[in-house]
This record gives sequence, C-alpha cells and structure tokens, in this order.
Amino acid sequence: MSAQKRRTFKIEAFKHRVEIDPKYAERTWKVLEHAIHEIYNHNASGLSFEELYRNAYNMVLHKYGEKLYSGLVTTMTGHLKEIAKSIEDAQGSLFLEELDRKWGEHNKALQMIRDIMMYMDRTFVPSSGRTPVHDLGLNLWRDNIIHSSKIQSRLLDTLLDLIHRERKGEVINRGLMRNITKMLMDLGPVYQEDFEKPFLEVSASFYSGESQQLIECCDCGEYLRKAEKRLSEETERVSHYLDSASEVKITSVVEGEMIANHMQRLVHMENSGLVNMLVDDKYEDLARMYSLFRRVTDGLSTIRDVMTAHLRETGRQLVSDPEKLKDPVDFVQHLLDEKDKYDMIISKSFNNDKTFQNALNSSFEYFINLNNRSPEFISLYVDDKLRKGLKGVTEEDVEVVLDKVMMLFRYLQEKDVFEKYYKQHLAKRLLSGKTVSDDVERSMIVKLKTECGYQFTSKLEGMFTDMKTSVDTLQGFYASQHAEIGDGPTLAVQVLTTGSWPTQPSPPCNLPPEIIGICEKFRTYYLGTHTGRRLTWQTNMGTADIKATFGKGQKHELNVSTYQMCILMLFNSAERLSYKEIEQATEIPASDLKRCLQSLACVKGKNVLRKEPMSKDIAEDDAFYFNDKFTSKFIKVKIGTVAAQKESEPEKQETRQRVEEDRKPQIEAAIVRIMKSRRVLDHNTIVTEVTSQLQSRFLPNPVVIKKRIESLIEREFLERDKADRKLYRYLA
Amino acid sequence: MAGRKCRVRFNVGGKIFETTATTLANAGRNSMLGALLDESWNVRQPEEAEYFIDRNPACFAVLLDLLRTGELHIPPNMPEKLLFREALFYGLLDKVRAARWGAFDGNRLHLASSVSGRAPGDGTAIRAGPEGGCCVAHGSMVHVYDWMLEAHPPISLDFQQVNDVGYIDAGSIVITARERLGKGDGGMGVFSASTGELRHRFRVTHYDQVKSFTAGALSFSNADRKIFTSCKGRCNEYGIAVWDQDTGEQVDFFYEQLDCSLGDADKLQWLDADKCLMVATLFPRRDTSFIGLLDFRAKGVVWSWSDANASVSASLDEKRVLHATAVEETRSICVVNQYDDLGFIDLRSHAGGVRWSSRSKLMNRKAPNEESCYPKLATHDGQLFCSMNDGISVFCGPEWVLTSTLRRSFGGSICDFSIGGDRLFALHSEENVFDVWETPSSPII
Repeated sequence: MSAQKRRTFKIEAFKHRVEIDPKYAERTWKVLEHAIHEIYNHNASGLSFEELYRNAYNMVLHKYGEKLYSGLVTTMTGHLKEIAKSIEDAQGSLFLEELDRKWGEHNKALQMIRDIMMYMDRTFVPSSGRTPVHDLGLNLWRDNIIHSSKIQSRLLDTLLDLIHRERKGEVINRGLMRNITKMLMDLGPVYQEDFEKPFLEVSASFYSGESQQLIECCDCGEYLRKAEKRLSEETERVSHYLDSASEVKITSVVEGEMIANHMQRLVHMENSGLVNMLVDDKYEDLARMYSLFRRVTDGLSTIRDVMTAHLRETGRQLVSDPEKLKDPVDFVQHLLDEKDKYDMIISKSFNNDKTFQNALNSSFEYFINLNNRSPEFISLYVDDKLRKGLKGVTEEDVEVVLDKVMMLFRYLQEKDVFEKYYKQHLAKRLLSGKTVSDDVERSMIVKLKTECGYQFTSKLEGMFTDMKTSVDTLQGFYASQHAEIGDGPTLAVQVLTTGSWPTQPSPPCNLPPEIIGICEKFRTYYLGTHTGRRLTWQTNMGTADIKATFGKGQKHELNVSTYQMCILMLFNSAERLSYKEIEQATEIPASDLKRCLQSLACVKGKNVLRKEPMSKDIAEDDAFYFNDKFTSKFIKVKIGTVAAQKESEPEKQETRQRVEEDRKPQIEAAIVRIMKSRRVLDHNTIVTEVTSQLQSRFLPNPVVIKKRIESLIEREFLERDKADRKLYRYLA
Repeated sequence: MAGRKCRVRFNVGGKIFETTATTLANAGRNSMLGALLDESWNVRQPEEAEYFIDRNPACFAVLLDLLRTGELHIPPNMPEKLLFREALFYGLLDKVRAARWGAFDGNRLHLASSVSGRAPGDGTAIRAGPEGGCCVAHGSMVHVYDWMLEAHPPISLDFQQVNDVGYIDAGSIVITARERLGKGDGGMGVFSASTGELRHRFRVTHYDQVKSFTAGALSFSNADRKIFTSCKGRCNEYGIAVWDQDTGEQVDFFYEQLDCSLGDADKLQWLDADKCLMVATLFPRRDTSFIGLLDFRAKGVVWSWSDANASVSASLDEKRVLHATAVEETRSICVVNQYDDLGFIDLRSHAGGVRWSSRSKLMNRKAPNEESCYPKLATHDGQLFCSMNDGISVFCGPEWVLTSTLRRSFGGSICDFSIGGDRLFALHSEENVFDVWETPSSPII
C-alpha cells in the first residue's frame, strides 16, 4: 500500500520561457531571401521596405545576425553566378555592354539590399569584424564576375583590343570604356592588378614596335613630332577613360620606348639630327626635342653634350682658320654672331635653361682661349667700332655692341694681354683724335672697371685726364705767347704722364729748326708753370699738317706724321737725297724711317716723293726726289703710315714678352700676400691659391710661378722648410 | 501638387505623424527613414501614401522633434535607454549623441552623471574617448564605457599593471603595461572598445632584435598617425618609441640621452604646431624634474628645462614640479607644485626658469584627514584645468585667472581627469566614482 502510495518524483530540467517560435528565424530569413530575389529580378515594387527592415532588425536583435549575414552571402553569390553566365553568353561587342548593364543593376540591387540590412551593418558587422554589406557586394562581384575564368581574360583582351584600335585611329565607344574602367577602380586594387599592369606591358611593346618603325623612315624632326602627338594622345586617353593615376605611368612608358631608347640615334641622326637643327636654327624642332628629352633621365645632358661638342668643334675651326685670322674685326664679328645664334636657340628652344647657358659659356671660354691672339683681336674690334664703326648709330646700339664685346672679354683668360692692347689702341685713338665719342669710350672703361676692378682701368682713365689737361695747358700757352708767335707753325702738344701711356722710349729725331723754336718756347712755358717735371718729346707719335706746292703751282695740304714732316721739310732745300743722307739728317730709327719713306714714295696717289730705283721696298742705297708731278683731286691729302693695324710677328713677340714681364711682379705680389697670411705652405697649395687670386686677370703658368718662388727665395722673402723640402716658410 | 508631394505621413505604432520631406532629409540617406523614402523603394507610390512603422510612437515623436530642430528633449518619464534603442533602430543614434550635450566650455560645465565603478580603491587613470566615451584603468583592468555610459566588457590584462591608456579612435583603445620580471610580457596593445578583444600587440626592436619592454606614458599625433610611448627595456634601452597608428609597426625609437630621462616619463604631449613631443619626467618619480621637447626630424632635444641645478639642498619644502602641460597658444609649459602654485616656463627661451604665478594660486581646501592626490594639469581650447584634492579649477585669459571650480561632495580626492569628446571625466580616489561634466546645449535665445 505504502508502496503503491509512493509517488515517484521526477525532476525535470527547468524550462526557459520560449521567447519566440523556433522556426521564426527560418521564416524571417525566407522573407528576406525572397526579397533579394525580387530585387535582382527587378520586381521590387511589391516589397515593403518597413517590413523587410523590421525583419532584418529582429533577426539581429534575436542573435540571428550570423544566419542573416551568411544567408546574404549565399544568396548574393547565387545571383552573381547567374549574372556571370549571362555575361559569358554575350556575343562579340555585346560583351562589354552586357557587363556594364549588369554592373549597373548589381549596384542598384546592392544599394537596396544594404538598405534592408542597414541595422545589421550598423551593429552586427562592426562587433563581429565582418565586411560591411556594400564592400561585401563589391568583393562578391569581383570574385564571381571579374575573376571568373571565362570573363577575366576576355575582359582584359577586349579592353586592350579597343585601346589598340583607338591607337590605330579607329573611333571607339569611350563612354562604355569609362564605365568599365570606373567599375574596375571601384573594385579597389583590381584596376591596377588586372588591367593597368597588362595595359602598360602591351603599350610598351606597341610603342617599342612603332618607334622602331618610325625611326627607320622618319627624320628626327618628324619622329619627335609623332612622339609628341602620341604623348598627348595618351594623356587625353587617361583623362577620358582611365584612372588619373595611370597618366604618369603610361607617359613614362611612352617616354621610355619612344625617346629614352632612341635618344642617341635621334640626336645623331644623319642630315636631321641635333647638329643639323642647330646649324639650321630649327627653333621649333629644337624646342620639341628639349621638351621631350627633359622627360627622361639623361635626356637633357645628351642634348647638352652634343651641343657642346659641336660648339667646341666649330669654334675651334673658327679661331684656327687662317682666312679668318686675316681680318680681326671680321673674326670677332664671327664670334659675336655665333654667340648670338646660340643665345637665340637657348632662349627660344631651350627654355633659357641655366645648364645650357653654362655649357655655352664654357664652350666659348674653351675655344676663344685656344687662339692666343683673341685678346688682341677683341681690342682691335673695339678699336674699329670706336673709330668709325659706330657713326650714325644710337647710344643704345653702341651699348649693345659693347656689352656683347664684354661678354667675349669675360671668356678671356689673359685679360692682362687684352688690357695691354686696349691701352695701345686707346692711346692711338686719343693721340690721333680718332675717337668718335668720348661718352662711348668712357662707357667702355666703366664696363671694364665693373668687370675687373679699379686697378684694371686706372691707367686708362689717366690717359683721358692727360688729354683734358693738355687742352688746358695749350690754351694757357697760346694765351701767354700770342704776341711773339707770328705766322710760324702752330704747335699742338699733348703732355702724357709717363707710365699711363704705352709709350716706348724712343730717341727723339732732329726736328726742323722752324719747329724747334716753338718747341723750346713751350718747354720753357710748361716747366715754368710746373716745377720739377721733365719733358721728353715723343716724336714717333705726333702728326703734322703741312702745305706743299708742287709743279704747275698746285697746292695741297698734307696730313703726315711728325717723322714724315721731318723728311719732307728736308726737301725744301734739296731736290735729291739718298737714304743715308735722310737718316743722318733726321736720326729717325731705321724701321720707322723705312716705313715713312715707303708711305711717302710707294703708295699710289700719295707719292709726294719719287724713289730710285722704283720698287715696293726701301733699300739702304735708294735715292729720293721731290715728286714735282704729284697730283691729287683732293686739296687735303692724308698720308698714312704703312703700318699693319694688326701687329706683325716680331711686334707680337715683343708684346707677349712685355706681358710676361708685367706678370712677374703680379705673381710675386700674390705669392707674398698669400704667404704673409699663411706663413707656411706647400708648393701645390701656393700654385692653386695664386692661380685663383689672379684668375680674373690671367691664367698663370705653374712653371712661371715656380720660377717666381725661386726668385723670392733668392731674395730671402721665403725659405724652404729644413725638414720638409716641399714646404715654404715666409720670412719677415 | 508639389507641396502635397513634400508632405509625408507616418503611422507609427498606431499614431499618425505628418512631416515634410525636408525635415526627413535631415536624417540622411544612411538612416532607416532615408532609405524608406528613397525612390528605389517607392516605384509604385500611391497618391496618399502612409508609411507604417511598427515602433514606439512616443520615442518617434522625440526623434522627429530632433530632426525638425536639431535639439533633443527627452520627457522625464521616458528612460534614456529606451530612446537610445529606438534611435539605433532608425539609425539616428549619432544625431542623438551630437544633440545630447554642447561644445565643450570649461566655464559652463554641469555635472551630467556620476558613475560608480566596480573595483574599490585607487584608479590609475581615466581617459576620455573621442565620441564621449571613457575608460578607467584599475590595476590590471580597464573598464570601458561608451558615450551612453554603458559599461562594455572590461579589458583584463592577466595581472599586469596598466600604466596608461588612450584612444586611437572611438573603437580602439591602446593600453601600456608594466613588464613582470621573468615573464617577458608587458608592453602595449590595441583592444576593441566594444568587445575588449586584443587586436594588435606592439613590438619593440633594437638592432633587429625584438625585446620585451615596459611601456609607460602615451601620446597620439592624429595628423601624423603616430603613437608615442615611453619605453623601458631590460638592458638600458630606455627612450621614446614611435608607432604608426594604421600599420601598428614601430617607425622610430628615440634613445634616452644623458641628462634627459625619457624611458619613465610621467607625461608625453604631442605639439601639433611645433611637430614636437613634450616629455616630462617629474618628482617624485625622479628626484630631479626634466621637461624636454623632442624633434624627431632633427633627432634631437630642441628645448629642455630641468631643476637639477636648482634643488641643491633637495629639501622637501622646496617647490617641486609635480605635473606639466604644454600650452601651445602661449608657447609655454604650465607646471604645478605641491603648494598648488601654477608656474610657467617659456618655450621660446632656452635659459628661462619657472615663473611662479601668485595670482592664480589654487584654492587650498584641503581637509586635514583626507588623503590627498598629486595635482594634474590639462589644457583645452585656451583653457587651463588643474585638479587639486576634490576639485578641478579652470583658468582663462592671458593672466590665467581662476574662473570656475568643479567640485562634488563625495568620492574623495581627484586622482586623474581627462577632457575629450566635449566632456570632462574626473576620477575620484576613494569611492571609485567618476564624474562626467558636460556643457549644456546653447540657450534658446
């Protein structure tokens, strides 16, 4: 009984309250899955957004986020596989259009799906570390469509083929291209990996082939024009339907294939290469070459090297051409023309590139100094311009010419040689009164001063001062003498400061007695006003105007040098004089005398003397007669001295020697200056420092420097170090 | 016709609302309402459309008002949490947060909330997140709170002492920890703010060798995407390590030089204008205080100050610099001593000492039996904040005049505070309570 009454207790597990129907999740998902199908089938109009959103929300809220997310992946993948099939089936040119259309549809569907799944995107996705719905849609598109085996290569081939056809001149549907590339860009690195890389490779081989073909059949200018066109085409293509980041890459491919690989060949192309362009002043072609070559490494240096080599070669020919050397003015004019030509090219075609200007300068410096007569010629050129060349030319134009000359001057290494010649030429101009304009002369001096400093021009300026004071002195002289001077010869004296002028001491000749008188008066006057000075007559530099009456009473005024005047005055008292007699009477140095006689007797139209025997040259035993039959249609006859403007060989040697002599103290002074501050120095350092100090005037020869050092050691300015023979010490 | 189309009618949980499309546009396309009205969902729209939404109508009213005016007014009988839940449904939670409190102003703060923590005793540090959340470090735990002040799963570091914490962004927290002898742990890692999971562990390499280290003070340069940490290695590899915020890789290491202690700095502060890092190693961690500016481009200390020479006697009565903050606006560094004096060091001169300012002497209300904390300094938008005992003082203007004091009655001294996300968080030492101070939204007129 008790056993029967025993009740069995059964302990059951505590049942949680069932919150929702267990099939709820499955049912809800079915609704959402159906909605996704409808969206992809363009049948979304019957769907209620509120209901779908609420369903997705509830799934996440009830911890079915995982199911929702994986369901979405599966469903979307299924649809994309179908889409892939329909794209694969598209025929020919419809392929891209179908792809574009489906991409548009997928995007639209994706947006709607994302709307439904918004709550999941906001809560479940970040906390579970999943990919957000939009990115998920793109990734699935990429994996199922773009990377599908039947689409991937076909898509790439189609795109590359279209671009190839466009390069060949066909018109393609750029809008479609833009949509497709835009899609690839939206998919992230897909554009770079699946399209850009092969695109660049194909482009490289295309342009490698085309450039090969072009270079065989085009000249350089044409080739460059085509390359430029291709570059702008590629840039335009990028702007129309490629990612802007591709521009740099594709242009660098074109640059590499069309320019960098053919640079040498283009530059050296026969009959049309760089040298021809330079020679023919092809500004446009040169500018094109510059702008294309600057895009590639070593491009500009290639142009520069060829230009420099060409310039040096033509320059070298120019300065060593014996024909050109005959006329110094022409020679310098050629240099200036050459400089103008290249200045023009650099400014018009090379964008005023500093490195090109430097190359031009260094080339000029190189070849101008190849010829050691350049300083003389440049001075002669200035002399020519200042004598006559600048008549009727405005001040500004003169300045331009002078500035150009200064440019050449800057290239000179031996500026002191130029100074020497310039001084000589200036002296001649001043003494003979041949300068056209004082202002221009002075402006030239100012230019030299700014270029080389005060020292360089102090003596030149001294010459101008002398000229001015001489005029005053002479006025004073005549004012004091006017009573005593009758109709004797008029004397014009220029008092030159010794040292400022390039005078060589020459023994004074015997002046005719008429002149001596007035000369003595001037000497007395001058020494009377200036005590403690010494006057020496430089008869070799003077000029005279004399009146001569020839047979038939013909009267002429002869403009001659002082020497020639002395000779002619002798014929006032004699009909015939031998060379020896003239030499004795006048004591003119032999070389000058010969030259004077030559100009008096041998120049046609100006032969106021007659020589026996008739010949071009003067010999010691010649005899001279007064030429009674002399005629001329001019009243005034200018009898020049037969003197080459250009220096003769021995004179040149002499100038050279004087320059060398002048350099010695300068070098010594430099050495002493350096040693004074440095106390102890080795030989090489001294040479370098001396060279750098004197560079603005000339380039000292190391051998000469060594000699000067030795001389200074002898004179005990320096001594050799006892321990190290290479070291010098300053003694003071 | 056009006017009618602009009107939108809702039936929310049985209650009818009418509003305009313009008002709803304020919700943005990336919200539930934005999607609901989008044309892709309204292809066959009937003339008199009424949208039914199966939600709480009271909350919808509040949110609709927010969309209309940009202001948030929660009726007293409505729990905040309920409203936040509804806002999340509509995708409007960010808008609610933005309208919840105003732009930070130290002189208009009011106590919004006090949150009691779970751990008793001293907190190490409190840090404000960029979006109004905060995290509190206690021993080897870091408690994380979002802007709704809801606690997230705490971050536990397996008994390693946390030295400093900081936010990279609202979702990522960096924690530096002390290395335990023989364990080879310590170091520094990034944790998820919402789940507390470890996302990345930072490594230090010296001469291509990975070394374990103790990480100390943290600073961030958001413009340069860098993280700076003071590091102590086992073999005197002391210095400042620099990491990339995005890759998590070490990009630089500035080794400690003679006369400047960097490896155990109290405070690092990145100065955006100078592109320099301020490093302050202070008493009582070291006997002598050092403050320097590091320039990582020049690889050198471009400015420094130290009291090494000044404190010859090392007596406790002397003014010791206890905390420092750089004030970029005035090109100076503000410091505080144990007597609550504020001092300033000019960044433009290299020889200057501390100019103690008597005018801005802090109010000393110290109760005799209360445990005191070291003072802390911070700056925000030209305002200077200093914690002392149980209050925080706010100083403004060129003369740094005391303009406000933030104080609450319980919780004991303030051991740390932090400003960020337009909020000020103050952590009290005794009760493990932190206070949240906000600026109310602008007045109506």
